[in-house]
Parts: sequence; structure tokens; C-alpha cells
Amino acid sequence: MRRIEQGVTRPEPIAVEIDGASVMVHPGETVAVALLASASRRFRDDRSGAARGMFCNMGTCSECTVWAALGTSPWRRLRGCLMPVEPGLRISTREPEAMP
Amino acid sequence: MTVFDIAIVGGGPAGLAAAERTLAAGLSTCVIDEQQRPGGQILRQPPSAFSVPGWLTGAPYRKGRALLANVSDDAKLHWLGGQSVLGITPDPAGETGFTLALSGTMGGVSEVRAKRVLVAGGCYDMPVALPGWTLPGVMSAGAVQTLVKAQQVLPGQRIVLFGTHPLMIVLAKQIIEAGGQVEAVCFAQSLKRMAKAALAHLPRAIATPAPLIAAAGGMAALRRAGVRIRYAAPVLRCEGEGQGGVEQVVIAGPNGEEALACDLAAMCYGFLPQADLVRQAGAGVRWSRPAGGWEAVHDGAMRSTVPGLYVAGETTGVAGSDAAMAEGAIAGLAIAQDAGALNEREAATAMRGPRSARKAMQGFIGLLRAVADPCPWLPAASAETLLCRCEDIAAGAVDRAIADALSVGPSFGASAIKLRCRAGMGLCQGRSCEHALVRRIAAARGCGEGEVEGFRPRFPARPLAIADLLEDAG
Repeated sequence: MRRIEQGVTRPEPIAVEIDGASVMVHPGETVAVALLASASRRFRDDRSGAARGMFCNMGTCSECTVWAALGTSPWRRLRGCLMPVEPGLRISTREPEAMP
Repeated sequence: MTVFDIAIVGGGPAGLAAAERTLAAGLSTCVIDEQQRPGGQILRQPPSAFSVPGWLTGAPYRKGRALLANVSDDAKLHWLGGQSVLGITPDPAGETGFTLALSGTMGGVSEVRAKRVLVAGGCYDMPVALPGWTLPGVMSAGAVQTLVKAQQVLPGQRIVLFGTHPLMIVLAKQIIEAGGQVEAVCFAQSLKRMAKAALAHLPRAIATPAPLIAAAGGMAALRRAGVRIRYAAPVLRCEGEGQGGVEQVVIAGPNGEEALACDLAAMCYGFLPQADLVRQAGAGVRWSRPAGGWEAVHDGAMRSTVPGLYVAGETTGVAGSDAAMAEGAIAGLAIAQDAGALNEREAATAMRGPRSARKAMQGFIGLLRAVADPCPWLPAASAETLLCRCEDIAAGAVDRAIADALSVGPSFGASAIKLRCRAGMGLCQGRSCEHALVRRIAAARGCGEGEVEGFRPRFPARPLAIADLLEDAG
């Protein structure tokens, strides 16, 4: 993924956590874009263990569903293409074992 | 709880055009949309924290942008962004109104009550199952377009677009303008066939020449950029080794199979109406021609078959944003009339403009549908190809279930197949696989798709955590 730089002004980046690693994103970007920005196209594994990515980017197909938690709140499964990033956001592409 | 005069589901061209009319008529109006900001997919706005001065400046967006600016600035509009509608329930007999169940993009549920409801849910890219389509990096054309338009990112460096729909020309131009590289645009159909389909509709289509001019401009821009447009180049499969995602698409070229290297492959076989809320509420739909999916039926003023429930835009059949704006305006006027804010004569007079505009577009809509018709060109899924992406159900398993059902009797629908093999049971509520199941069932039964009953639409129309429902009940 590459951000379009020409003609676009974004707010200063913030850090979010994806599968334990810190990724810099801009407020306004979605969780789906944060995942793409982490240089991976994998959003989850299917039942056969194959990597799967996002598909529709409009909330319709649910392929971008990941686990997300804000601070100490419980993990939730949410569609990544609809959810804007926030400071303190943690994202997991695998089912988290414990509460954050 | 506040009871709105009208709740509009969908903040795209149809919903906004309707809101413009209901607000002008003095009706309390809320617009609910899954996106944070209004505009729909066609005018999907960058986040408010971004500044993008050159956003969608092209002529085809001008009318929609004016509407968006006008309605967004109206302080009386009650905007409910970042909210998914899970279901629309008519109030008990004797009362007139509806309750809409909502969930937020970060979770949590709520309700909205309204005397009338308009579903202007838009459409979505037809998901077409072909071998390799579940590899990361294979996505819908709409996904790529909205990532470029709104999030201002290019999800790949080397992009192949494939399918049958001329929207690929528009998207390729937008990718290039954003600094991306389009390896190829692959139309499955031949140029000769497209030209023949276009010519038959041209006499009526030139009533609205703007989209034809825009298409020609797009082609010229691609030629200047050196983008290769391939015709009669159907994609057979997408391929990639290991867990990294797509690396190439394989087309049936004039000299046999040909591999096109890419890190992003976007499919564009047309669009399906978003009609699950309409179906859930019990309103009538029919199989959409020619591309497929279910479109809501309506009278001449966009009233659905359920009293108090209106429909407009792509939910009633995919016809583009100009048609959606006209239909939204008609629906908004009908709602104002039915609410008693306009008398019959005032409404009829006000409807004249959008009705004649909508009628004039029919020629171009017919042309585009004929040129883009995906049905003869839908790629074949292999037995291992997943038809149901949510539950990982392969085409072979679906076909076995269909054969089983057929051995019992000929009059089964999509739900019978769902029960047998779980296809359509997952998070997307069947939006991805239902059309494929209906096509396969119709072929097996030897009937038209419209005769096959689709999935029984269920609450919730969008995924929801059970904890949210329990919390709400508690």
C-alpha cells in the first residue's frame, strides 16, 4: 500500500498496535488501511489456514473483520473498513487469548 | 424517544436527494449511514481530518457534489453516521411507523423510530467466484476506488483490473492520476461485441450525452498513459504462492493462457442492489436484469409494497448516481405528500422535473447494461473454489447440495441449500454468495433466476456481537 501524498494533507500520525507490533497511522484512516500500511495484505486465516484479505471496503462482505480493543476495553470483532483508528487502539488478526 | 417523520437509510445520492425534499417540506429527517460522512460510495468523502482540495473535481461528480454540499450544510438534518441498520420492523397493527435497530462501527446498539422509512441502500460490487479469488490482494473494483477516493491510498503498486464493466476505465484513470500503475484492463468480452451492444442503444442514449463523453475521455486518458486495454481477455484464475497473496492473474489470450504479474487484482463484473433490509421488512423484490441480485419493486412515486416504506436509487436496480438522485427526489416528494406536507397537485408538479430527467436517462442506462452484461462472461469456479467466503464452502459442496435437493423435488430455493451445506450462513448474511447460489440452482432446475427463492432475509442485516444485544436487553 502507498499513501497518495500529492494534494493530500493528513494530521500527524499516531501509533496503533497490530498483532503486538506498533504501526504509525493517520487519524481518519480506517483499521483496514492500518492493516494494509503494516505491509501485509493478510487480515485473517480461514478454516484451512489460508491467509485472507479485505474484499469490498464498504461494510458489505465482512472479510475485513478483525479483533479490536481500545485501551482496557474487551476485544470485539468489528469490520475494519468501517472503523477509524484511535490512539490506544489494538488490533489482532487472530483470536486473542486473553483480555487486553 | 424522538419519532422522526422520515428515517432515510443510506446517505448517498438517492438518500441525500430525498432528504433535500423532505427537509424543504419541513419534515423531521434523519439519515443513517455506515460511513462517518455523507456521500455514499460514489461520493465517498475523505476523513474530515484530511484536507484534499482536488477531491473528485471531474464533471460526472459535479451534480452530486452540489447536492452533498447543500444537504450537509442543512442544520436541520439529523445525521447518524457510522451506524449500521440491522433491521426495520413495522410497528404493531394500528400504529403507523417503524423501529430501526442500529449498531455503531465500534459496537453498541440503539434504536430509531420513524413514521416513514426510505431505504436508499445503494449497491455493491458483484462478488464473482473464480479460482484464487480469496487470495489477499484480490478485491472488488469498488474497494480499490473507495480506498483511492476516500482513504487516499493505493492498495497495490501493479494493478490488474478485470471483468466486464466499463467502470474499469474510470477506475484505471483514477489510479493513474493518483500515481499508481495499471498493468492491464481486461475486458472478458470482445470490443466488437461491446460496440454492437452500444450501437443498438445509441439512438436513445444520446439523450444524455455526458456519460458517453466522460467514457471517451477516460479511454483517451488511458491511451495517453500507455495503459493496455485488453478485450476478449477473460480472466480464468488468480494465483499466488504461499501466504503472500496474489502474484498474477491468468487470462485466456488469443494464443492460449497468459499470465499477467500484479500485486493487486480488482474485479468489476457489475453491481448488485443492496436490498436485504427491504426484503427483511417483507417488501417485494424481483431478480435484477441483466446482472442479477434482487431489486426492490415500487410504484411511480417510489413506494414499496409495504405501506410507509419507500425505496430509491440502486436498491431499486443499478442505474447510476444521476438516476439515484432523480429517484431520491421523487421519493422525498412522495413522502412529503403522504405526510400531508404537500398536496397532491404540489407533489405532482414538483415530481415532473425529476421524473422527466429519470426517463431521459433510460437510454444510457440500457446501453450500459447491455455493454456491461456479465452473464455470458462469468468465470467458472472450480470444485475447490470457495463460493461462500464466510463459511469456506466450496462450489463442489454447493453443487452436491443442489443435486441432493433436486433429487427430493424441483421447487427448492437458496435457503434449502444453506441448510444442507452452510453456504450463506456467515457474517455477510449471504450477500457474497446468494447470487451465485441462485444462478446455480436456476441452471440445475432449468428455470429462470427470478423463479428461485433467495435466502430468507434475517435480522441482523449487518454483523453484531451477541454481547451488544444482551447488554441492550439487560
